[in-house]
Amino acid sequence: MEHAYAQALWKMIGNGMKAKEAVHALHEMLLRLGRVSLLPKIGRALVSIAMRDEGRSDVVLSIAREKDESRAKKEAEEFLSEMHLDPKGVTVHVDDTLIGGWRVEGRERLVDASFKKYLLEMYNRATGI
Amino acid sequence: MDASTVEKIIKEIEHFAPSHESQHVGRVTSVGDGVVAIDGLSKAVMSEIVIFEEGKGKKLAEGMQGQSELYGLILNLEEDGVRATILGDTARVNEGMTVKSTGKILSVPSGEELLGRVVNALGEPIDGKGPFKETTMMPVERQAAGVIDRKSVSVPLQTGIKAIDSMIPIGRGQRELIIGDRGTGKTTVAVDTIINQRNEPKDNRPICIYVAIGQKESKTARIVEQLRRERALEYTIIVDAPASAPAALQFLAPFSGVAIGEYFMDRGYDVLIVYDDLSKQAVAYRELSLLLRRPPGREAYPGDIFYLHSRLLERAACLSKEKGGGSITGLPIIETQEGDVSGYIPTNVISITDGQIFLIAELFNKGVRPAIDVGISVSRVGSSAQTKAMKSVAGGLKLELAQFRELEAFMQFAQDLDKVTADRIASGQRMVEVLKQKNGAPIPIEMQVAILYAASHKFFADVLVAKVTAVEAELVEYLDGQHPKTLAAIKKTGTVSEDLKKDLNRALEEFTLAHKELFSQ
Repeated sequence: MEHAYAQALWKMIGNGMKAKEAVHALHEMLLRLGRVSLLPKIGRALVSIAMRDEGRSDVVLSIAREKDESRAKKEAEEFLSEMHLDPKGVTVHVDDTLIGGWRVEGRERLVDASFKKYLLEMYNRATGI
Repeated sequence: MDASTVEKIIKEIEHFAPSHESQHVGRVTSVGDGVVAIDGLSKAVMSEIVIFEEGKGKKLAEGMQGQSELYGLILNLEEDGVRATILGDTARVNEGMTVKSTGKILSVPSGEELLGRVVNALGEPIDGKGPFKETTMMPVERQAAGVIDRKSVSVPLQTGIKAIDSMIPIGRGQRELIIGDRGTGKTTVAVDTIINQRNEPKDNRPICIYVAIGQKESKTARIVEQLRRERALEYTIIVDAPASAPAALQFLAPFSGVAIGEYFMDRGYDVLIVYDDLSKQAVAYRELSLLLRRPPGREAYPGDIFYLHSRLLERAACLSKEKGGGSITGLPIIETQEGDVSGYIPTNVISITDGQIFLIAELFNKGVRPAIDVGISVSRVGSSAQTKAMKSVAGGLKLELAQFRELEAFMQFAQDLDKVTADRIASGQRMVEVLKQKNGAPIPIEMQVAILYAASHKFFADVLVAKVTAVEAELVEYLDGQHPKTLAAIKKTGTVSEDLKKDLNRALEEFTLAHKELFSQ
């Protein structure tokens, strides 16, 4: 139940309503229904929705070495612009298991241009896995 | 790594062209009991296959250990994500794992290469005989053939079991339920039917598919060995989703089996598919539905449990000539509790199928095997597919047995009975003995006709009830050895003409004269 209320609140705010007004409206309705005790739970559910949303909008550019950053950003520019993102604003993460190349993940999209992926694909094709 | 692999890798490097395509992905938010909640994948469709990305954060060497990819099947589309079932080892999935969309609906490989093989619910070989080379992918979920594409059932599917072929005949394209308590011989009836197909000419022999759902591995291994020993494995495919397999695979196995069968049906072949058993599939689907948080209904089964079985069994069909004339005959098996056929799942499946073979523990314990209760077993469409030969000898059989069952209670007062009743009981007792059959020993249709012809002409009237089976065995041997032409003529013409009747009468007389000692009560 609290999840549904939290989701409604999140949508109201997302649709442009001021946070204070939205919370006030929700509080009034809960008062009317005698369900004010749900408020702490709704708060926690709202936090998890917000965190999930943040996770969804977060885009990470993974590279194998720090020195690869500028090259990777240049190569990934096309994909980042498709996501309406400026390469400068992207979170960069160093993952040495990638061996080389880069990998962009976020907003339900994944572009893997890492050497690890290419090598693994080659190995699988050669060994017939 | 051998030299050829190194060579292949060198070639791969020479022809290397990097490509980086954008993929639609989601992220695992929770995992447990074979079900995962995935955040994202907002463009995913129902029954879509997803791939769990296990290599993230792992070194290259770990990815080269030859582990096959781990798949999931989307079963719930929700407001803020999807829920999927893991088609493999749950322990390989963890929270935060990236899940890739494939845009593909679940399909299984099918083709002639699968004959004689054992595969899992995903169509992957599990018999250690190596991977398949050339197969065609068939969708696991497919709309059943429509009215226009079908024709009426008209060709018999011989089970090799006298009681069934004579009184509850099955036609190609029919769905005949085998129902009964545990340990009453349901699987035996189905396996004997598969074995009996070896008596069919090769060009007319149905491809057989045995789907084991929630069975013990030892039982499936025994069936595979029996089919191999009886030379039936060469035209059979086994789909195995054992009790140890995840619920998702047990739920999918029958659909995979029918998808494999549809490949052959589409090419004009006849297919026989056994689902052993659908009660266990229903239980697996209930487990899955509860884990997916779908609302439970009667006996905690989900609301679409009827649709689960109806959409599966509707795929059994007899296609019209324009569609190639292939067919799928379905033999679903349902296990009852204490002989209760009024349970939820049994009544559902009874209403979907075109008849049922009811096996009862009481008859089984009395030594009547197969323990078929002919009184409540029916075949709604099979009679139109029965051969004239069988119709002519088995016409009054069901009635005779029904009358015998009515009078059976009076047997203990045998001395006080009038002659007509006593004769009817004696005849019924002998008929019950004639219909008994050992497991794994299906009888060709022409021999069944000859035996039932003999029985209906009071051939066994002077034989002791206890000796009927032995005399019948002698008769089978005699007819096989001395009168093969008569049997071949019955098989070829599918009728018992006046000339054949004369031949049979002569053969029976000769046998009686040669075995006088068997006929003195």
